[in-house]
Amino acid sequence: MMGECLSLSGVEVRWSGRTILAVEDMQVRQGEFVGIIGTNGAGKTTLLKVCCGLIRPTRGTVKLDGRDLAELSAWRKANLRKHIGYIPQAAEYNAELPFTLRELVAMGRTSVKALLSRLNKEDYEIVDNWIERMGLSERRSQTFRSLSGGEQQKALIARAMAQDPEILMLDEPCSNLDFNWKYQITEIIEQLHRETKVTVVMVSHETSLLPSGCKRAVLLHEGNVLADGDIEEVLGSEVLERAYQCRIEMLTLAGRRYTVNKSRV
Amino acid sequence: MDSFFYLVMFAGAVAGASTGLLGVYIVGMRMPFIGICISHSAMAGTIYSILLGVNPVLGPVVFSAISSMSLGLVRPGRSRLDANVALAIFFNLMLGLTFLGIGLMHGSRSEVLGLLWGSLLFVRKSSVVIITISGLVFVVFAVLFNKELKVLLFSRTIASATGVHESFVYCLFLALCGLVLAVNLPLVGGLMIFSLITCPAAAAYQICTGHRSVIFAATIFGMASAVAGFLVSYYLDLPTGACIVIVSAVVFAVSVSYRALTKKTF
Repeated sequence: MMGECLSLSGVEVRWSGRTILAVEDMQVRQGEFVGIIGTNGAGKTTLLKVCCGLIRPTRGTVKLDGRDLAELSAWRKANLRKHIGYIPQAAEYNAELPFTLRELVAMGRTSVKALLSRLNKEDYEIVDNWIERMGLSERRSQTFRSLSGGEQQKALIARAMAQDPEILMLDEPCSNLDFNWKYQITEIIEQLHRETKVTVVMVSHETSLLPSGCKRAVLLHEGNVLADGDIEEVLGSEVLERAYQCRIEMLTLAGRRYTVNKSRV
Repeated sequence: MDSFFYLVMFAGAVAGASTGLLGVYIVGMRMPFIGICISHSAMAGTIYSILLGVNPVLGPVVFSAISSMSLGLVRPGRSRLDANVALAIFFNLMLGLTFLGIGLMHGSRSEVLGLLWGSLLFVRKSSVVIITISGLVFVVFAVLFNKELKVLLFSRTIASATGVHESFVYCLFLALCGLVLAVNLPLVGGLMIFSLITCPAAAAYQICTGHRSVIFAATIFGMASAVAGFLVSYYLDLPTGACIVIVSAVVFAVSVSYRALTKKTF
């Protein structure tokens, strides 16, 4: 993928006669770190699912690597999505199955390999390398379900990175984690972005969880893009107060941006 | 014991093993209802084959294939209809068609009602050959698509988003699921097959670490449930299907107890 790796134009998603997402124009360039923020029910997850082709918009065009997803056959679309590393919310996967950590991370190599082929020594070297980079080497034979929430999230990141993705899409990767794990996970994501130059699109409803490497924010409210641009400007804008319906002040601490509800302070 | 006894034992073992293996995927995808749904489609197919006077193998295979493919249309994220709700609607439709067909029949209905409970004692050599072939076809599928099936088990959403050929593998799985259930129906019965799909796999998921061990354990538990159930029914002169169901439930209870007693983290 070169230059612009993802673009949406005139996209609208309607369910039960109601518009739940409307994005007139949005582009993500290669190597960018884009944070998608907004209130609950703003359409953040829907936008992410539209971006990776899980939800087909009612109208509009979604292009991945310059190719319109709607015009591709299921087979070609699957081939194109091999470049997407996707980490969904916990409700989207079955954490109760007794897959070992190594088996789970090895799943990342599945789409890279052709159908009917088996993973080879080289694939497992990549898998073990990512397990090691996440500091989970001692846990590789343990089941995924026996890991803590933070370790599970690290395992999912290792799975996505083992795929060698060009774009990493994360949906609330820090939800249900304590503050220390939240910090660790966002540090890992920032480090991966810095070192591998992978494009990152990350959904978060906590602005402090967007690492300092995230330079662009897209603010959603009731399915509409209220602001899209430099993160400092978006977080300091009046539209943020309009979206959250309260007076907001942005504080920066240790490179993290915290939004404080001033009307309640 | 004559050769027929061994034929029945072999048929039961193959049926138990193939439904046990199938259960790994059905239980793992959190869709245990799929077994009873497709088996009732097969049952409706058998009844309409008898009514229309066509080959009795053709009807269940066609009906279960149609229902499997229809279930494949329920895509994660595409439809607001939960897969389990779709299965329940299909199940009700197939049950309605089954009883409509039974109502339209003239003369003795005992053969048709036997499909509900199944009977290993009406095993024929030709049916053993068919269930063995269908079981082997499913094993080959599970081996060839092992890496894709693992991702589907963990998350169909991840599989779809990251370029695993999820639609293709899932539809193929459903079609083979329909085939295995349809050919095993006369032996195991529409109601009994549900327990042979769920109990051995659920037992294996309780006490195994790693996907490969789940596959082996579920296959062996399924085979053991069918064979032990048959032996119990033979020696105690009890209904075969009921014994198989109870033995498979006991296998599940033992594995849950083992997990609780050992306090080991699986």
